[in-house]
Amino acid sequence: MSKHMIQKIHAPISVAFVYNHLKQEVHPVKICWEGRQYTVTTIGLHHTVRDGRTLFHIFSVETASLFFKLALNTESLHWSVEEIADGEPN
Amino acid sequence: MGNLINPLSLPFNPKKPTIMHVDLNSCFASVEQQANPKLRGKPVAVAAYDSPRGCIIAPSIEAKEKGVTVGMRVRDGKMLCPNLIVLTPDPPKYRNIHIRLRKVLETYTDHITPKSIDEFVLDLEGYPSQKRGMRVVAKEIKERVRKEIGEWLRISIGIGPNRFLAKTAAGLHKPDGLDVIDNTNVEEIYKSLPLMKLCGIKANNIARLNQQNIFTTMDFYQAPIWKLKAAFASVVGYYWYVRLHGREVDDVEFERGSFGNSYALPDTRSTPEEISPILMKLVEKASFRMRTHGYRAKGVHVSVLYRSRMHWHHGTTVPEHIFDSRDVYKIAFRTLLKSPYREPVANIAVSLFSLEKSLYSQEHLFTDMGKKEKLTQAVDAVNQKWGNFVITPARMMGLSDKVIDRVAFGNIKELEDSIIMHNE
Repeated sequence: MSKHMIQKIHAPISVAFVYNHLKQEVHPVKICWEGRQYTVTTIGLHHTVRDGRTLFHIFSVETASLFFKLALNTESLHWSVEEIADGEPN
Repeated sequence: MGNLINPLSLPFNPKKPTIMHVDLNSCFASVEQQANPKLRGKPVAVAAYDSPRGCIIAPSIEAKEKGVTVGMRVRDGKMLCPNLIVLTPDPPKYRNIHIRLRKVLETYTDHITPKSIDEFVLDLEGYPSQKRGMRVVAKEIKERVRKEIGEWLRISIGIGPNRFLAKTAAGLHKPDGLDVIDNTNVEEIYKSLPLMKLCGIKANNIARLNQQNIFTTMDFYQAPIWKLKAAFASVVGYYWYVRLHGREVDDVEFERGSFGNSYALPDTRSTPEEISPILMKLVEKASFRMRTHGYRAKGVHVSVLYRSRMHWHHGTTVPEHIFDSRDVYKIAFRTLLKSPYREPVANIAVSLFSLEKSLYSQEHLFTDMGKKEKLTQAVDAVNQKWGNFVITPARMMGLSDKVIDRVAFGNIKELEDSIIMHNE
């Protein structure tokens, strides 16, 4: 992280994703970003957004040290990270 | 509005209150805190821009406690609250919460009106939920919002015999309030509320009321109809009399009158030529939305606020209805040329008015409207499929991120767009 505590980016990211058929829930569980692994502790918000015809699922997730805003492109099934923040004043 | 009620001896409405006003507290900031748990319990402000001159549009409850208010500059907010976390708006998040809140509320009544991105009015009269008790239903809604939408979201609910009193009740104890105003407590509430706190009463109205020796809300409530008519010098006085007595005068839905977009310029542009790419993008956005809703327009209005605080605006009406962005742009640019000022622009807005439904239907003798319709439809279809502004006029080059997505305050018409898109 740079001195800015909120970074808006758009970069590919590795995400481990789980679907629980009993709870009918889907959510990311682990993230690999810049060589480090992060375990997701909280899903703050899950929402969708369209860019043209393509639907993106956006997951706002918390790990022990950082917050990530992740986007799943439902056409390519690729993940990207859109925002990283540490929750401190900017 | 129904027939006018004889106002000579109007008692306060004795019927049980069935109108519920639901207000999501500190909406944008709370949604950001919901999305990012690391922000919870901290002072957060959502601002149009995160630069020092950016305008704060939504402080969190924690920031409000430190004195940060809507409309304040970011640098002033940081002076009051040095650890303020400033975020820029993320409209899809807020629209998503709006849609989810609406879905929860729709399980109680079909009579639901979104008043803005964070406010709804429900009428439960005659619905099974009413029999369970308005307070019981309100508590259940609060609980469901926490469980089904987000545990950090707080809503204030007001219950009253009309929309005005329901909204007033919702504002009594923010955040997370639940209040009822009815014939048993209305006078007590009015005694505790200053005139300035009434929704719809601002400084100029207070001056008008003061001229009639009305200084408190109780004076306002007890004033005879002739006095209020004299104060407002119009039928507005009658509406206030009826409203304060718990009768409904605000359940009117207005037709859409215009489509508009505005933009606050962060850089210095003064001449029409320098402003033209931004004007083109504003025209593209407004025209695209107008066509998506199946309208065409006969008028184009341009409004410019200069950095010197000078305001200039002008509307142009044309004989034929128009829908093509290129036609709209020509009129908008010609209108802009009429401005006598050539100085740095702070804000520019374009709106299309004199709307008519049924797009692409006009017969035209001299130009090939068929070709124009097909081209416009094709461009709109490509933009809808691949994202807004995949195809843009050359004039807009270099404007990739300018005129970004915003949520309009109090504009419920735009919310229909998001609901339509969400259901597709």
